[in-house]
Amino acid sequence: MTMLKIQGLSAGYGAADVLHSVDFTVEQGTIVALLGANGAGKTTILRALSGLVPARGTIHFRGKDVSRCNAAQRVALGLAHIPQGRGTFGDFTVEENLAAGAFTVTDRRQIAQDMERWYAAFPRLAERRRQQAGSLSGGEQQMLALARALMSRPKLLMCDEPSLGLAPAITQEIFEIFKTLNREHDMTLLIVEQNADLTLQFADTAYVLESGSFTVSGAAAELLGNEAVQQSYLGV
Amino acid sequence: MVLFFQLVVDGLASGAIYASLALALVLIFRATRIVNFGQGEMATFSAYCAWQLCEWGVPMMLSFLVAGVLAFLLGIGVFRLVIRPVSTAPVEAVVVATLGLFVVFQALSLWLWGSDQRAFPSMFPNVGWDIRGVRLTASAAGMIAVLICLAALTGVVFRFTRLGLAMRASAYDGEKSLLVGIPVERMLMLGWGFAAAIGFVAALLVGPRLFLSPTMMMPILLYALASATLGGWDSPLGAMIGGLIVGVAESLGATFLPFIGADLRVVIPILVTLVVLLVRPVGLFGTRTVVKL
Amino acid sequence: MSTQLLRFAPAALVAALLGLPLFVPDFLLFEISIAVSYGIAILGLNLLLGFTGQICLAQGALFGVGAYTTAILNVSFGWDPVATLPFAAISAGLIGVIIGLPALRLQGLQLAIITFGVASAFPQLLLKMDTLTGGVTGLATDQPFAPKWFPGSQEAWLYGLSLICAAISIVVVTRLLRGDTGRMMRALRDNPVIAEALGVNLTKGRLAAFAVSSALAGLGGGLFCILNGFISPQSFLPMKSIDILIGGIVGGITSIAGAFIGALFVVFVPGFTTDINPALGGLIYGLCLIGMMMIARQGIAGLRMEKLPAAILGVFKFKSSSRFPGAVPGQLGGE
Ligand SMILES: Nc1ncnc2c1ncn2[C@@H]1O[C@H](COP(=O)(O)OP(=O)(O)OP(=O)(O)O)[C@@H](O)[C@H]1O
Ligand SMILES: [Mg+2]
Repeated sequence: MTMLKIQGLSAGYGAADVLHSVDFTVEQGTIVALLGANGAGKTTILRALSGLVPARGTIHFRGKDVSRCNAAQRVALGLAHIPQGRGTFGDFTVEENLAAGAFTVTDRRQIAQDMERWYAAFPRLAERRRQQAGSLSGGEQQMLALARALMSRPKLLMCDEPSLGLAPAITQEIFEIFKTLNREHDMTLLIVEQNADLTLQFADTAYVLESGSFTVSGAAAELLGNEAVQQSYLGV
Repeated sequence: MVLFFQLVVDGLASGAIYASLALALVLIFRATRIVNFGQGEMATFSAYCAWQLCEWGVPMMLSFLVAGVLAFLLGIGVFRLVIRPVSTAPVEAVVVATLGLFVVFQALSLWLWGSDQRAFPSMFPNVGWDIRGVRLTASAAGMIAVLICLAALTGVVFRFTRLGLAMRASAYDGEKSLLVGIPVERMLMLGWGFAAAIGFVAALLVGPRLFLSPTMMMPILLYALASATLGGWDSPLGAMIGGLIVGVAESLGATFLPFIGADLRVVIPILVTLVVLLVRPVGLFGTRTVVKL
Repeated sequence: MSTQLLRFAPAALVAALLGLPLFVPDFLLFEISIAVSYGIAILGLNLLLGFTGQICLAQGALFGVGAYTTAILNVSFGWDPVATLPFAAISAGLIGVIIGLPALRLQGLQLAIITFGVASAFPQLLLKMDTLTGGVTGLATDQPFAPKWFPGSQEAWLYGLSLICAAISIVVVTRLLRGDTGRMMRALRDNPVIAEALGVNLTKGRLAAFAVSSALAGLGGGLFCILNGFISPQSFLPMKSIDILIGGIVGGITSIAGAFIGALFVVFVPGFTTDINPALGGLIYGLCLIGMMMIARQGIAGLRMEKLPAAILGVFKFKSSSRFPGAVPGQLGGE
């Protein structure tokens, strides 16, 4: 089944468009990578998908056209977005962040269960329940952002540059978690990254974005070491 | 000494009024970064509604309740009709829009009810107690109790409820809140509603002391602005404590500082605020500097 | 063609202003003169708020300082009213520097509230110093009479005086805004830290801005006293400072012409709305203010005729017109 189907998506900030009519699909249960150089428009794609920037074109999420839904409604439908720079509430405690992540869930029992489940999965967060999120380390914050996104029971998890500012070992750890989520919980993931080599090892499919349009796409394994991919990083 | 404690008690009572209006101002500021100069006049208008209901024979407590709900709806309406459309404008324009609210609601009260002063019913019985020579009236005690209830209520709502968490999140960062599915605009709207209701409570406390008149909240607004600045514009607790400090300082200063006296008492909140700000530029409980107008 | 027209526009404007007494009745001329006196005070505020980014909500009190200086010098010392005007400006300027002292530490909202406190205390202070100020009864001043050779009415003569004061103020402000001083002021507004790093003396710059702005308020106040012939604490209630702020913003705070447009707005619009309906005048005025800010966000002087229809329609387009959520640059107290 197709999780996400995007057709003719254009978006921008004010005068000029940043995205020029991009099309792509994300199949259920896969990990899809969006690669591209700085300023290519990767973040803009995710922001358009989650309704933070106005966009033209159609977005079908699990068969439903969500182009006219607002950001909050899209979260309720199961679209989670971890923004670039984590997006945790620095003033809130770890626990409050998780509670905020579960805003769209109304069943209190389920919230409590989920919280315990993700505390068990991320013991470092459990130890810091009452600590302010702003005082966590970068890796812990990324885990918190991930756990918080999972609290909304998403069907599709979009993550913007999870490796940003993290040590390679921590990045590796985060990607392992993605893989586990994908295998064991059948989670679909859309990951935006600059670190192409690492991402392509974990992803099933990849799209390479250059100045607002896709230049290369295909199975991740085939793109690994592909020259065109390298080129788009070296810049035009 | 008896005089001193008497003045402190009186000061706390009027401080409770400043504190409630300051709380309303701070809640709105935290959520939308707007100082609502019309807050006091909106409260006066709601107090008139309560008075009118009483006049029509509705039991006092019921009319206060109904008017409180009306105040809440008024806050929501103002947000939708005035604040949202100007929200993208430069800050100066927003300031003039809230000054416009001030003018509109004052004129509305004046038009509907005239400029005569009206006796406003008090929630508290007309009794008092003598404690070692200090007279504590039921209304003074009641005002302080109302403030404590307000403080406890906002504390509980913001700390322990889902709605409170969502409102805090929206105030902290709109975009991040949207990403967890919080309908931010609805939260800000509710914030305006709650603030209007809290402002109405302040007007309920003022009414019996001063008589009801369309301009009764005007002097209070300055004190409330000073209280909020003193406490820190991003701290509801700070606003309330600031209000009490301003109330006590005003009452003591007007009596013990002969060169100020009763007629210049309005400078006291300003002086106290100025001194605090010079020592701590973010206010007593503030965390972020309020830089731009 | 259009550039040539533009070249003649200032001359045409001056001609129109000078010719005004021929066409409008005296009572209107009087009100226009009053508006000009406010306009001078608003011009001061614009210099402060629009060009150096500091706020002063005591502008009405400084206006009062100027007015009382003129009145006292005239009543107690028998000076010619017109000769007192420079002293009205100087005294208000000095007091403005004192009011501006907190501005060295405080900014924005906090400064606004502290200065508004000054505005609130001012009428009380006038009452307290009643030996000098005449207390509630106020002071009545002499009016400078039109000389024999002057063909027009007394009002026209005073109108001329107002125009001269306005012209002097405009010259002072334009000269200040040009060149190095102007650049320094804008640097103060846009980024004080960088301005300081570039060698701008923040303390001096800020206080100077306060001094000039307050002196203009004082000049306006002195003129107001002469025009009105009578002042009392009632004339300088805290709302006066708010009116001056409204005038500044409605006119457009980074515009010299805007100051006078705003003054005309605050002098005439409340009157017009009361004429429309005496009971509802205030209500209509308040709605006007709100409506103005929805349509002319940069003030009237910033309004472009060709964009007007779009601006009006924009008010009714609720979708995407909200700044919440998202970045809130420079909002009231943005960090
Ligand atoms: N808020 C904004 N306002 C105006 N332009 C913006 C805004 N955000 C991004 N842009 C522009 O849009 C383009 C694409 O930005 P985007 O953030 O989507 O790139 P990106 O691929 O995520 O880059 P990076 O890898 O650096 O995060 C850039 O040219 C950027 O300057
Ligand atoms: Mg990005």
